[in-house]
Amino acid sequence: MIIEVTVDELAKLMKKAAGVSVDPTDLAHSSDSPFGTLGLDSLGLLGIVGELENRYSKPLPPDAERCKTPREFLDLVNTTLKAGA
Amino acid sequence: MSTQRPRRAAITGIGVIAPNGLRADAYWKSVKEGLGVLDRITREGCDHLPLRVAGEVRAFDAADLIEERFLVQTDRFSHFAMAATVLALDDAGLGSGDPAEPYDIGVVTAAGSGGGEFGQRELQKLWGQGSRFVGPYQSIAWFYAASTGQISIRGGFKGPCGVVASDEAGGLDAIAHAARGVRRGTGALLVGAAEAPLAPYSMVCQLGYPELSTVEEPDRAYRPFTAGACGFVPAEGGAMLVVEDENRARDRGAAVRAMVAGHSATFTGASRWERSREGLAHAIRGALDEAGCAPEEIDVVFADALGVPEADRAEALAIADALGAHGTRVPVTAPKTGMGRAYCGAPVLDTAAAVLAMEHGQVPPTPNVFDICHDLDLVMSRARPAELHTALVLSRGLMGSNAALVVRRGGDSAR
Repeated sequence: MIIEVTVDELAKLMKKAAGVSVDPTDLAHSSDSPFGTLGLDSLGLLGIVGELENRYSKPLPPDAERCKTPREFLDLVNTTLKAGA
Repeated sequence: MSTQRPRRAAITGIGVIAPNGLRADAYWKSVKEGLGVLDRITREGCDHLPLRVAGEVRAFDAADLIEERFLVQTDRFSHFAMAATVLALDDAGLGSGDPAEPYDIGVVTAAGSGGGEFGQRELQKLWGQGSRFVGPYQSIAWFYAASTGQISIRGGFKGPCGVVASDEAGGLDAIAHAARGVRRGTGALLVGAAEAPLAPYSMVCQLGYPELSTVEEPDRAYRPFTAGACGFVPAEGGAMLVVEDENRARDRGAAVRAMVAGHSATFTGASRWERSREGLAHAIRGALDEAGCAPEEIDVVFADALGVPEADRAEALAIADALGAHGTRVPVTAPKTGMGRAYCGAPVLDTAAAVLAMEHGQVPPTPNVFDICHDLDLVMSRARPAELHTALVLSRGLMGSNAALVVRRGGDSAR
């Protein structure tokens, strides 16, 4: 099974964990923008990390919550998930 | 910088989220008419608890005024405070935030407990599913300082910010703190308090208060100063005010609604109501002294009106002790009997009512109270027309704080 967290899912998680509404297409276009400019603060990202860890029963590296952009975050998350698949 | 004009603290905006009205105008209409809105508690998960009657804020949709991310990340008590802030800013003509001089505007709130409903939800996840299921916003949302922080972040207010945790009377202490902030150089402060004590965990916390009324008939549950006094009824909601340097307000053409003239606070110990007589009288004298106000100048008193016989007696005697013979002649009112006591929010709602009463020349009545057993001129049944220049607002907390605030009419508004 190949697990991959998509931009679409990240948009849903931002909404669920932090109440930040962002259109998935817009998020894909701004995947190099800092989370802060998208309205997501560090606690929001921490919540998303926790949600993914619970969902996939797998710890993410400490760097996950320090990622600055959606691209950086998704790359790290997906690399980690694939490594253990 | 002007050295000629002294800095005085003016009230230029009022935002209300109360059980009897959302917005200051709706609140005043209910207060003036003596509308009673105490009712059976309908909030989820509360119906098995022996506290049946309260003042609920209904028909309130925070999303009308506040962005979703601020709602997801905060408790209902902060939703009320943020919404009241939006209304106060609008009322003061200060726009929606992001001021040109962010360091010129600060925020002060008072809080009695914090975000109990949010906290309960996350603690249930902790014990039900495990620590990994607790959301990170728990770290800030149930904290009693959350509302000040979120109001500051949302509005971009980077001036002095603080939280007063001094019991219910802290609502008045916060206003005094804001007035001092203005005198020390801050242009304006958003100040007030809002509470959300009607949720299962929060209600259980209150059940231990001997002063809590558990009477099940809404119109009999909270009747201070009467022989039927049986404790107080809690409420949710509160108010935020804009307290601003008078010169700043006049320079930008804003109406000066009232002046924060004097304040004093004392402490006499938890549930020691007999001793609150001395403490409250001392606070009244201190507030009058700071305001440079003679007892006879007080045109109306907004009473604490706890509804516990011993406490009511102490308050009536304190008013007489501090105001002398004038204490038995001055109109006294307690609009909160119609909506309940919103803990720290209650004295801020009373201060808002005092400003509105002065503007409209009406002393509002004390709902559900008809036959009093103390030597007070308590205004009952209907509002009493009166020329009001100066109001005294009183507040006491269950843990022993007493405070008095003197507000004077601003003179700008012919509302």
